[in-house]
Formats: sequence, structure tokens, C-alpha cells
Amino acid sequence: MATPGGPRPRNFPPNYNPNALANNLQNLQVSQPNQQHSSNLGGNAPRPPNTTPFGQQPPSFAGSRPGPPPPGVFPRGPVPPSVQAQTTLPPNMVSTRPTGPPMGSQPPPPFASRPPPPGALPSSIGGHSALGSRPGPFSSSPLPSGPSAPSYTNTSGPVGNGPPAFASGMIQNGPRFPPGVGSMPRPAVGPPQSPTLLSSGPSSHPPQMRPGFGGLNSGASSTMGQPGPPFSGPPQNMPPPLGSMPFSAPVPGMLQSSGSPYGMQTWPPHPQQMVPPPPTAGPMQQQPMFGMPPPPPLPNQSMALSQTGQSKIDPNQIPRLAPSSTVILHETRQENQANPPPPATSDYIVKDTGNCSPRYMRCTINQIPCTVDLLSTSAMQLALLVQPLALSHPSEEPIQVVDFGESGPVRCSRCKGYINPFMKFIDQGRRFICNLCGFTDETPRDYHCNLGPDGRRRDAYERPELCRGTVEFVASKEYMVRDPMPAVFFFLIDVSMNAIQTGATAAACSAINQVIADLPDGPQTMVGIATFDSTVHFYSLKRALQQPLMLIVPDIQDVYTPLQSDVIVQLAECRQHLEILLESIPSMFQNNRTADSAFGAAVKAAFLSMKSTGGKLLVFQSVLPSVGIGSLSSREAEGRSNASAGEKEALKLLQPVDKTLKTMAIEFAEYQVCVDLFITTQTYVDIASLSVVPRTTGGQVYYYYPFSALCDSAKLYNDLRWNVTRPQGFEAVMRVRCSQGIQVQEYSGNFCKRIPTDVDLPAIDCDKTIMVSLKHDDKLQEGSECAFQCALLYTTVYGQRRIRVSTLSLSCTNTLSNMFRSADLDTQFACILKQAANEIPSAPPAQVRDQATNVCINILFAYRKFCATVSSNGQLILPEALRLLPLYALALLKSNGLRSDGRLDDRSFWINHVSPLPTPLVIPLVYPRMIAIHDLEEKASDDSVIPTTIPLLSENLTDEGIYLLENGEDCLIYVASSVDPNILQQMFGISSVEEISNQFILQQYDNSLSKKLNAIVNEIRRQRSSYLRLRLCRKGDSSGMLFFSYMVEDKTPSGLSYVEFLVHIHRLIQTKMA
Amino acid sequence: MTEFLDLENQDSVRMPWNVLPGTKSDAANCLIPISAVYTPLKPLPAATPLLPYSPLRCRNCRSVINPFSIVDFSSVNKIWICCFCLNRNHFPPHYQSISDQSMPAELFPQYTTIEYETTAPHENSGQGVGGNVFLFVVDTCVIEEELGFLKSALLQVLGMVPENCLIGLISFGTYVHVHELGFGQIPKVHVFKGTKEVTKDQLLEQMGFFAKRPRPTTGVIAGARDGLSPESISRFLLPASDCEFVLNSILEELQRDPWPVPSDQRAARCTGTALSLAAHLLGVCVPGSGARIMAFLGGPSTEGSGAIVSKNLSEPIRSHKDLDKDSAPHYHKAVKFYEGLSRQLVHQGHVLDVFACALDQVGVAELKTAVEKTGGLVVLAESFGHSVFKESVRRVFQSDQDLGLSSNGIFEISCSKDMKIQGIIGPCASLDKKGPLCSETAIGQGNTTAWKLCGLDKTTSLCLIFDVIKKESPDVLAQSENNQFYFQFLTYYQHGSGQMRLRATTFSRRWVAGPGSKEGLISGFDQEAAAVVMARQVSLKMETEAEFDPIRWLDKSLIHICSRYGEYQKDSPSSFSLSPRLSIFPQFMFNLRRSQFVQVFNNSPDETAYFRMILNRENVANSVVMIQPSLISYSFHSGPEPALLDVASIAADKILLLDSYFTIVVFHGSTVAQWRKAGYHELPEHQAFAQLLQAPRDEADAIMRERFPVPRLVICDQHGSQARFLLAKLNPSATYNSDAPVAPGGDILFTDDVSFEVFLDHLQRLAVQ
Repeated sequence: MATPGGPRPRNFPPNYNPNALANNLQNLQVSQPNQQHSSNLGGNAPRPPNTTPFGQQPPSFAGSRPGPPPPGVFPRGPVPPSVQAQTTLPPNMVSTRPTGPPMGSQPPPPFASRPPPPGALPSSIGGHSALGSRPGPFSSSPLPSGPSAPSYTNTSGPVGNGPPAFASGMIQNGPRFPPGVGSMPRPAVGPPQSPTLLSSGPSSHPPQMRPGFGGLNSGASSTMGQPGPPFSGPPQNMPPPLGSMPFSAPVPGMLQSSGSPYGMQTWPPHPQQMVPPPPTAGPMQQQPMFGMPPPPPLPNQSMALSQTGQSKIDPNQIPRLAPSSTVILHETRQENQANPPPPATSDYIVKDTGNCSPRYMRCTINQIPCTVDLLSTSAMQLALLVQPLALSHPSEEPIQVVDFGESGPVRCSRCKGYINPFMKFIDQGRRFICNLCGFTDETPRDYHCNLGPDGRRRDAYERPELCRGTVEFVASKEYMVRDPMPAVFFFLIDVSMNAIQTGATAAACSAINQVIADLPDGPQTMVGIATFDSTVHFYSLKRALQQPLMLIVPDIQDVYTPLQSDVIVQLAECRQHLEILLESIPSMFQNNRTADSAFGAAVKAAFLSMKSTGGKLLVFQSVLPSVGIGSLSSREAEGRSNASAGEKEALKLLQPVDKTLKTMAIEFAEYQVCVDLFITTQTYVDIASLSVVPRTTGGQVYYYYPFSALCDSAKLYNDLRWNVTRPQGFEAVMRVRCSQGIQVQEYSGNFCKRIPTDVDLPAIDCDKTIMVSLKHDDKLQEGSECAFQCALLYTTVYGQRRIRVSTLSLSCTNTLSNMFRSADLDTQFACILKQAANEIPSAPPAQVRDQATNVCINILFAYRKFCATVSSNGQLILPEALRLLPLYALALLKSNGLRSDGRLDDRSFWINHVSPLPTPLVIPLVYPRMIAIHDLEEKASDDSVIPTTIPLLSENLTDEGIYLLENGEDCLIYVASSVDPNILQQMFGISSVEEISNQFILQQYDNSLSKKLNAIVNEIRRQRSSYLRLRLCRKGDSSGMLFFSYMVEDKTPSGLSYVEFLVHIHRLIQTKMA
Repeated sequence: MTEFLDLENQDSVRMPWNVLPGTKSDAANCLIPISAVYTPLKPLPAATPLLPYSPLRCRNCRSVINPFSIVDFSSVNKIWICCFCLNRNHFPPHYQSISDQSMPAELFPQYTTIEYETTAPHENSGQGVGGNVFLFVVDTCVIEEELGFLKSALLQVLGMVPENCLIGLISFGTYVHVHELGFGQIPKVHVFKGTKEVTKDQLLEQMGFFAKRPRPTTGVIAGARDGLSPESISRFLLPASDCEFVLNSILEELQRDPWPVPSDQRAARCTGTALSLAAHLLGVCVPGSGARIMAFLGGPSTEGSGAIVSKNLSEPIRSHKDLDKDSAPHYHKAVKFYEGLSRQLVHQGHVLDVFACALDQVGVAELKTAVEKTGGLVVLAESFGHSVFKESVRRVFQSDQDLGLSSNGIFEISCSKDMKIQGIIGPCASLDKKGPLCSETAIGQGNTTAWKLCGLDKTTSLCLIFDVIKKESPDVLAQSENNQFYFQFLTYYQHGSGQMRLRATTFSRRWVAGPGSKEGLISGFDQEAAAVVMARQVSLKMETEAEFDPIRWLDKSLIHICSRYGEYQKDSPSSFSLSPRLSIFPQFMFNLRRSQFVQVFNNSPDETAYFRMILNRENVANSVVMIQPSLISYSFHSGPEPALLDVASIAADKILLLDSYFTIVVFHGSTVAQWRKAGYHELPEHQAFAQLLQAPRDEADAIMRERFPVPRLVICDQHGSQARFLLAKLNPSATYNSDAPVAPGGDILFTDDVSFEVFLDHLQRLAVQ
């Protein structure tokens, strides 16, 4: 969406909300700090031509991938049972198997600090490209030789661990960041510290909230937000994004002129170089104050307010997500102070200058209240969202690997905190004070270094652990209870009658078969496979030249693994067998009449065969488990017939039916087995009960309902591929340490907790976030800093044991307004969402909704009461940082999980989906992104792939329009009733709205409209790291209803419209004030 | 003697007492019980017809019409009188045309033993008709070399199985693998945990027998008749012709048990579970029709039910001493388990055959009950590569030297009212069918008048023990006219061809009573049969009676017999003499005392169990060889001649051929051995010597061809180590401490055992007291 490679004017598309800003500026007498758009109001800024949708990262792909896939090559697809399905190739299947570099961390040989390649870039960005030193995958690199890999000698020196994924591109294109990031002008990232006021009366003069801040960002200095080109490389120099498109919609025989090669998520191996999902539309530039011009005459009269207010509020003027397309450069610390992070949903590039990147750890408030009283006064909560392996932006510096040799990393001897830039060295460097517990330690002799005049160690800038917020330590023997485990992938496939007949088995087998090629190469990659119906079938793959042997475990009450070895074998040894087997499984079971499914037993049996190593267990399940251990009953039907039982009974259906699966899951976690569940079903499968297993073992649930072999095979494949290829680690333990005065109250997410302080993660990947709620146990000193350190000990897919340590040091404050100014909306809302999701199974929906609303109201009330100095009661005053909180709260109330009318499984899935959801994906989940796609042609001049988003208000939909709405998981394309048939034909190959069917496959036709649509969908897929379930909707049937259910700003029978909600909130605050 | 053999040829019956004591007290004085060794399927004389109809049976006692029935041809309504209950029975209409000139074969006096071909009691629907079922249960916890031998033996067998036979395969080690032969696409096995017992219902459930149709809600589920689809059965049991290829490839790929075995442990081998699963599988698929579980065992069971020893190598496998002291921790549990298994197999009519090949014990002692009650075959060898195993297993399937394997037999008896049956010692199982014929005391398989013989072949011999209950009364003493006891043995069985047959043997014996009965009894005494009955009896008592002293019991019996039937003057040992009818009996007893059946301490419990199982199923002639081996001497001086089973028979220039049934020893005297080593037999001028060398070998081969299990052949030289196989059997008339000079070329034995002469001296002394 953003092109960081060039001077990027702020662009407000004219066709959307054209005069909103102008109106705002006119109507609100508010300081207008730090506006970047001033010069480009109207959004007609000249754009460099030929920008690519993702200019930032592609070069590496150019180097690491051979190029676009051969057109027309189609991967072995699943064979759904129907003839039609067989002839219709699932579209959007990735047609190549990119030979990208392996994921995860570094391949073994080249540990070394790498000199920049000849002619390379300033080291600040490209410095760690060690292209030449990487084996294998980069052999196709355009670099002729690359720097020779230095030998693995200086163990204690900083070691670049990043793959040089982008180096080749950079070399080709010249330095893109000539001055080095550090020297760049500070981008206008910091939120201007002014509140957003919803003024309820024209007479009211919203005063500048904090003159001090206002001055800092005075309205006049609006250019400051546009600090000059952050990147000097002209966009023209950008290489075409070969291979950069993670998703694709290949049509057989079609040539991708855009160069988008349909590889899904072909990111380079290192998490830190991954393309972060760019923002949907982050509110990165603050809208100062929105007026609610018609003030309710009598604020105390609620009725009057709602009636009159409603009619007069201009919906276009209320706070909304403002789209942003610029890439923000973010330094984590500036002037020895923590720099508040950009919005999670925005597109930003981080330079680690001491604090860890916000991708890894974000705090709900970027200044820590000194006392618990202050915190409770603010009504905000103090929590961290930790995503230790988050994908980084490709332009970011890779995380450095530090090897302390056998002694292991330097740690505080009392709290065991890891060495970090905030440890204070004293006494000529002979001792250091731990910034977490305050204890003074002796510096280990061989780590000693004299201090410089600034009081810092002289080597501080040479040692990553002393100058970077995030480093990775090579774990010494001390951190291993056993040898690092191999990367074990065990596939467990449902072959019961239903799965066979719906094509789910075929789809799963086909997906696995293709994914095998993408598994990490090397001797430590091991695979196993089993199928199950009412019994469990293992396959012995290691049989020299003979066929695989099927081993049936018939006892599903007391399962066991039929062989100790040979069920899980090295991938290299069994590749052929595996392929043959996967091809023959669907036909082998095609006459299977066993309707029962022994899910629990199968999972247990597979676990037993993995017990000695641990690993990932990927389960493809199609029906409600009906027999064997952990079998379930169709509670939904029972619940329906038993509707009178009341709310309590209804709630129980969202809870696991019993403890069987939980007990099993805890055992799995203990042996480092992570379960991912792919549910391809057409019926109720009791996700509430099943999901306990992935949740406890650090896995996740994928849900395809109603499963269609035609439409969902491609998504299944892409999901599976991302699952196994994304950056991830095994047998991980995570702990967050805090400075004295603060302690961790609770962790929440997908993991297993055996002792209160640690989080056990059989597997952890870049998409998993853990919420850490904090509490005070003492007062903090104003002016001091409070640090949080997240340490994740894990094993890479290449069998190396690593400790990733991210440290975030924030200043402490005694001032409430500081807290509000530094509040992090995305993080706060993510916490609210996750807490609400946790509540759903145990509290009545109305209570959960009230709670969520109250959290929002209490915060706004606190602000109104203690910070806003506005005299008039008639104004709804929102803190600038949290001005969208009401909108998100409203969206949350209308979300799948909190609606009580949804299917049980949908709600359970939603609850589970939310639990590990990364912060950047939280907002889109409740407030999806909607764009118009019928007028793509007219927007030809627009260089961003994804058009401007439209607020989720049905008024914004026209009868001639086609709209695409996505929330990171589903993608609905709504076709209004009188769409130009020509457009329909071009886009979907149908001639009228009536032809829309449930089974929609996005294909690319040979016209620019279709290509653009595909480009958009692919871009969204890439941003979300998700393939999306596509669905065509039209008015008048259930699909239309579904689409309109996402119009969260609308008034619905059960919910308020956005405007009404604001009025409602205002009223409640005023009631409180009174 | 010959008259007994003639009787045996006619009716396959040998009795110690061919003239029976007529009263209870007389019988009690006989010491050797009234008994009969009967070989139900002994081949009939070629002329005997097979009657293609069902026999006529007495309406009262259900016995079958026979030559002893009195037929009244004269009356219009022809009538026959049952010889057992004297009931008058009408002939059915189709017999109306008979007359004393044209009698049905069953009334011919020479056909006292005759076979009927009857309709099958269990008509098999489509499955297994005409063919036997073989379920191979193969141990994979063996070393690679052994597995190779076993595989090649099995592959060879596979080529010999008749095409219409159904075959199944189970392999086991730590787990039990039930191979699904009917699944074409890839090899498929059902894996069961070795430590867990599976019930038949669980098996039905878990193996998906009802996957494609609803399970019947009630009733016993078994076989195609009761709701199992033929397809689901044919997944596991397939005609040999259909599965030969699959089975060949499975056997070729058969791997050793993959679970690692710590060096201080035995392999985890779940023999019991595997056999139990095999029994369930057959019970589910082919209940009631002839089927054999053929277990190939390579070591002791250590896992699950039926384990005979723990996995820990520091615990030795139980010895006789442990059993005597009751310090074998697993023994009773295992025996109980296999008893349960045998009950199930008997109920289903299936046979368990055991081929145990290991240097150490494998648990035959525990398995004995299951093998014996089902009439299974047992072969014990040291290795799957040993000829005893290889030849024996081939013999089972060889068509030309047919073992006459038959199955699913039911054995019933009728006898005169003064007789009762105490039981059978032999490979059968009591059906607990009580009747007036049952004696109050039970020996062996008793308390019934019907027995199940799941497996039987043409040498299977049962030892029936009777009881005379007639009280002494005046008319008894008066020697009434009717001084015959009648016996009828009926054997239903499924012939190897699949037909159901009934063999009826009817015979009578005269009884005597009163003071003058001694001579009569002696005249009918069959000392060979008596020795065999004693051997079976003493074996049984040793197994079942605690604190039983076999030597004492045998000596006491012998002394009593001698003092009762010998001629002597009281207290004058030198005056003692025995009738020729009894004269060899003391020698049989002497050798029985020394035999492996009584002297168990040189053998492992497995070996003892093995010897006794063979003893219990063999006929009199073979059993006598086991008790008292035969010795033939070959020399230039004379042709082959029987030699005394005595160390004195050893001579340097002789070749001895010892047949102790289980072992055949060819023993070269030292001179002969020297000649042979010098290679004289290869020289043309010493052809005679070559012939001399060859003659005992030919004889040994002839014996081995006849016998199942194939005996072990030992060829040894005087003073060689292998010579112990001969020396152990010889009467120690010359030992290291005897004074008698040894003949040149002779030998002495290093033993403290008493010689036969000493034994006889003592016997005479005690008998005359």
C-alpha cells in the first residue's frame, strides 16, 4: 500500500470524504498540529509512476527466487469427488514452489559478522547482507561472489543473524537509504498531543489542551510531518516485485504481466525481515477535533440529546480511521527517551535504538504511571502485547545474534534478567546495576570494558546487546535439558466417510503434498503421517524400496503408537514414499463407509509417536469426533432442543464439554507437541471443546465452514504452507521480567502454563501474540525508567537453541495527561478485545457487552474529568490518542463473538481466533476494511494497489458498486443490484448478479479490471499473512445479510449506529460527571 | 502279543486287560486300570466301505447299530436290539429290504469299525467349505538369522497349502500385527498392544467388522451366518490361491520387531495376546469349522497375559525345581490364561499348533493345556533352521505323507451298564456331558461321555480309563451266560476333505470274576498297553498331584502286580517267575522309571511338557519306544538284529541304531569309526563296509519318514561327546564302580543308577514277601 521508496505525499483520495478535513478544520477550532497533508490536500499529489505496491522488500526475492513461475504450471490439486471439481482447477493455488531460503533462523554455517558486500549499502540497513555466505537457496543470486563468509571465530562478537535476503536487490538498486536511518529527519510519527474533541456546540471553544504539546506541534508546523523524503532512492529504481506477492490468483495459462508470481508468503526466512502487514488505515495522523456541531440543547436531557443530536451530527465528521499510505520511520528511542510507537496497523520501519521494536512488544501506555492509584484513576489498563517472533519489515535491520560461548549470556545474578542496553555499568565497568531488579552484579572478567566519558561502556555501540532492544543469544548447554529437538511435522488426516465425500481428505492430502516441498530442508526435518476414521492408521515410511505399510491402531480407548521409529522419519528419506502415499490416500479410502471419527484417539496416538521429540501436529478434521477418547456429542442440537434451559446452559456450549481434551493437551505441551487444527466441515464440530488442544499447545484453529473442496482447497493449501514455512520456533519458554515496582499479573494467549512465571510454548511462530497484564507492587520514581524484558528461549527449525531477548524501557510519570497522551489505542483495544473474548464463555453476552462499553466509558470519563479543561458539559471530549476507542468499542459489540445470534462454532472460533491475534490484526477483525472495486479503472492514476477504504456504513454503498470487505480472515465481495454487466463480466466472468453462486473462485481474466482486482486481493493477502476466504455476496440472500452484518456503523435492530453510540457514550459520561 | 496287534488292526484299540475283571473288587486288585488306548482315525483296511448315509441309532441310548446288535429279520417289522441297553428298535422304512442274506455293511461282523459320511452338523455358508483354515502366528522377536529361517520355511509352506484353504497371518513382538491380506493397495496391518487383552466384542468393534452395516443388536456374532459380511471376513482370511502373492511379499518384508531391547532384558514378546487375538479372529470369522492357529514361537512370552517370565534377564526362566517349590511367579497366571484360551478354542472348535524353536524355553509347559485340549501339534526344536522344525512343518502340509489332519471332532462312548468311564488321558477336552456312564471319579478329561477333539490325525490316540461298578453278587460269581462287556466309540469329525464323518467302533471283551479269575486275566494282559497306560497315568499324576512320588508309586504298583500275578513261594526270591504275558513288564517299568517322563530333572519344564504331550497322543507302539527305546545292532557278523538296551551291547566293531522316538542315534563303535575316518567306505573294495555304514542310516531315514514330529538324528562315534544320547538310555550294567570286567571294545557308564539286574533282584525280593 505504501511506497516508502520515494517522497510520499500524503494522499487523501478525493472520492472519499472529500471535504472532511476541510470541514474539520473549519468547524473545529483546534490546533492542527503536525499535519502532513497540508500540502497535498485533495490527494492529487503527483505520484511517481511505476511504483510497486510493495516497493520495500522485493529485491530479495529477485535474488532468491528464480523468477516468476512458469505460467500454466499448476500444482497437483486436490481431487474433489465431483467431476466438476476435478475439471475445475482450484484457482489461486500457488503455482510454484519457491525455492526460497529457509525460514527461521540462520542456517548453520555462517555465523559471523559479515562485512558488507562490495559496493553495498550503508551498513545501517543493508549491512548484514551476507548473501554470498549463505548456502543453497541463494545460489541464484545475482551477486557473483558476495563476501566470503568469515570464519566462525569471534564468538562474543555481534553476529548478524539475518539472512541477506534483501541484499541482492539493494545491490541492484543502489542504496535506498543513503544517509542511514539514524540520520534521517524524524518522521512525524509521534502523535501530536492534542485531544480530539467532539464539540457539541459551536459556541464552545475547544481550547488547546496542552499548550506545551500544542506548541511542540503547532498547527503551523504542519510540514514537519513531512520530513522530506525518508528514502532517497527514487521509486523508479525499485525492482519489480518479483515474487513479492504472497498470494496470487493464477489462471492457468495466464502470464502475470505484473510480475506477481503467486507464491504465497514467500518472505525471506528471517522473521525480522518479514514484511509486516501494512496498516489498513492507521490513524497515524491525528485528526484534531471533530465537531459535533449541533449541540444538544440540554445535555442533561438524554432524550433530547439523542433525538436532536442524531439528526444533526454529520457522520462524516466523527472520528474515523484515517487512511495512511506513507511508511513511517520509527526509532525506538530518541534523545534517550522511549519514542511512542506508530500505530500497529500502520506501515512503519523500525530502527532499534535501544528499545525493542513495537512489533515485538507494545505497552498499552507508553509512560508508566508511578502509582497504582494513578493507573486506576485513568481507568486504563497496563498490559504488554508480546509477539516475540513477529515479522519485521524487510528494510529493518535483522536481529543480531550474540554468542557468549559456553558461559552463556551475561545475566543478573538475582533476577536472572538478561544483559540489555539499560543495565548501568559502574565502577569503571567492573560492576553493573540491573535495570530490572536494581541489584549490583560483578561484571564477568572477560566481559569487562572501561567506561567512556559519557558513562557508557566504550564498546556499547559495538555490542548489540548493549545498544539494541532486541538481540538473540546463542543458548549454551545450560539452557538445554536435551539436544535441541528436530523439526517434526506430523500430519493427521480425517478419512471418515464425510471427509472423503466432501473432498476434504483430497484437499488436505494435496495441500500436504505440495507443502512438503516447502518444509525446511535438512536432516533435522522429520515428517510423519497418519489418517483416522474410527481407528487410527499410521504409515511406516522408512521401508527401503517397498511400499509404505499401513499400521492400524484399532483400540481408540487406549491408544498407542504402533512403531517406535519409522512412523516419523527424516523428510529426505521418505519424500517419494510420502508423495505416493498422499496421492493414494483419497483413493485408498474412497469406499470408506465409516462415519465415525476418533479425533481424540488419533491425536493422542500421533502424540505418542512424537513424544520423544515433540513437534508440530497438524490435524485435518472434518466431523464431530464421535468415538474414542475425547469423543463429543452434538451439543448444539441438544442445546437447541433444550432452549428453555436458560442462559447458563447456553454459555456452557461455549465452554469445553469436559476436561479430557484439556488434560491431553497439557500432556502434549509437556512433551513439546503443538497441535494445529484445520477444520474442514459442514457441520457442528464443537470448536469450543476441540480448540482447547491447539490453545493449550500453542497452536491455532483454522476453520473452513461450510467447507467446499472447490473454493477452500486453495486456502487450505496456503494456510498450511504459511503454517509450516513462517518463522517459528519449538520447545519454547517465555518469561517477561519487569522493573521493580511492576510485576506480571497474568499471561494470556495460546500456551500452556505450568508455573506462574513462565509460559510454555511447544511452538511459537510469528503470528502468535501473548498478552501480559501487569500490576504495580510498588511505587515508581518519576523520571526513572521502567523496563520490561521478554526472554524467549526456543529452538529454531534448524535445531539451534536461541534466546530472543526484547527489552522495552519506558519512562515513568506521575501525570495523568501524560498517560493519556502516550496511550496506545491499538494495544489498549487489543486488550479489551482479548479480555472480552475470554469472558464470553463464562458470562452472559449482555454482561460482556456492558463490560466492554464500560471500559471505554470509564477511560473517556477519566479523561473528561481529570484532563479535559473544557468548561462546557456539552462536549464529548476524546483524548487524541484514543479518539477511535468508541468506534472500535461499537464494532466490538457487533462482532461475531459478542453477538449472541451466531452459530456456536462461529462464536467459538472467533473467541479462539482472537486469543493469539497480533495487534495489527485486531482492528481489522472488528472493523474490517472496505473498498470499492467497481471503479478501479477510474482510479488508474492512483499508485497504491489498494484503494481508499470506505467507512462501514451502508449509506456509502451505491447500487452500481462492487465492494470488497476484508477482516484478515474472510473477504466478502458485495455486488450491488445494478452493477454494469460489463464490469461483472470482466471481473468474475458472469453476466448478471443472478449468476452469483456460493462457490466463488477468484480468477484472473485477461483484462485490466480483473488484474487489478487480483492485485488487490493478493496485496491484502500479503498484508494479512492470510489467504482469505473469498465469497461473493449479493443483496437479498444470506450472503448479502452477511455482508451487511459487517456494516458496524449502521443502526441495526440490536445495535446502535456509530452516531447514536457516541451520543450514548456522551450521555453516560455526563451522567457520571453529574 | 500278535493277537493284541490283530485286535488293534481291527478296531484300533489296545487294552492292558483284554479279559476284564468282572467286579469292582477284582478291578481294584488289578492295579492297572481297565483302560483302552484308542486311535480314532487309524486308517481302516482298504476294503472297508465308507457308508454314504447316517447310522441308525438306538432310540434309548443313542448308540449306533453294529455287528453285535441282534437283528430279528424274521418278523414283519424288522427289529434290532441294542447290545448296550437291550432296547428294541424298529428299522426305518428304507431298511425294510434287509435280510440275513443282504445285510447293510454296518452289520457285517468284520466291520466292527466303520465310517459313515454324514451331513455336516454346521453347514458352512460359502466360507471354508472343503478347505481348512490356517492362521499363522509368527514371532518376530528373533534374531535376523532365525527370522530368515522362519521366513523361508513359511514361504515354502505357502507353496504347499492347498489352494482352497483359507490363510491368515498375524505377526507379533511387542505388539500384535494382524495383517489384512485382502486390502490391495498397500500392505495393511492392525496393531494391537501386547500388554492388553482384547475381547472378542472389542475385536469386532475395532477391526471394523460392522463398518458397512449396522451391528446386530442381539445375539452372538460369529461368522458369516450371524451377520458378518463375507467381505469383512475375507479381509483377513483368504483362499491361498488369492493371497499367495500378497502373503509372499509380506513374509519377505517381515521385519524383526522394531522395538529396542535393552541389553539386560529379554525382548518384549506378547505370545499370549497374539494367540488370544488369533483365537478371537477365528472365532469371529470361522467359528465351528476346522481351523488351525499355527504359532511359530522363537522365545519366551514376556509381555501381557500369558507371560512366563519377566523381561529382566536376571530372572531365569522357571525350572522344574522352581515349579516344585512353587516359586515360579508367572507360571500359574500363565497356565490359567492358556486354560481360558483353550476353553475358547475348544468352544470354537479350533486347534492350536505350536512350533517352538529356541535354545531357551518358550513356555510350552504353560501352553500345554491349550495345545493338548485342542489336539494341536507341537514341535520343539532348537532353531528354525533345525531339520526337526523344517521337516516337521513341511510334513504338516505334505500331501503324500499325509498326517491325516482332521478337525472338529466329537468323541462319544457307549458301554455296557456295568462299566463307567472315568476319563480320557489324551489330546481332547471334556464336553461336560454328564450321563449315567460317568464314573464318580474323574481321571484326565472326565465327568462326561463326550469329548471334543478340535484337531485329530491318524495317530491321535486316546487313553480311556474305565471303572467296573458291578458289585460282587451270587449271580456274578455264577459266571452268567452273558460274560461280555460291550464298548462303542463314536467319532464325528471333519475330514481333511471337508466332509463330516462318523466313525463307529464297537467291540466286546469277556469278563471273568471270582477266585479263579487270575489265569483269565493274565491271559488277556497286554504288557505294552499296560506300560503305556502306566506312563500316561504317572505323567498325569506328576502334573496334577502335589507331593506325588512317581518312583514310589511305580515301584509299589509293580511289586503289587508281581506279587499278585507272579508264581513264587513266599519269601523265596529265587522261586519267583512271571508268566510270559507279564515277563517284560518289569523291564518296561524299569525303563519308565528312568525315562524323561519320570526323571524330569535333566529336562526343562518345556521339554517335559513336550515329551508328555507326544506321549499322550501317540499309539501304543510309538509310546513303547518312548518308554523303552529300541536298539538295533549292525555288524559284519550278522544282519541287523535287536540288541539289548544295555551298555554291554556296545562293541567296537558294531554300529548301533537307537530309536528313542524323539532322537535317533546312529552309534559307530570305535573301530567302525576309525574305518570310516580312514575313508574305507569310499573304496570300491570295501563296499560291504559302505553298506554296513549305510544300513542304519536307511533304517533311520525310514523311521523319520514315518514319524511326526520328525525326530532328531544324531550320528556319533564311540567315546564322542554326542554318544551321550545313546549312553543315557542304556541299562548301566557296567559302570565305573562295577567289578565286572568290560569286554574289549565295550564301554562303561559313569552313573550311580542301579542296573536292571539289581532292580530285578530287589523286585523279586519284595514281591515274594
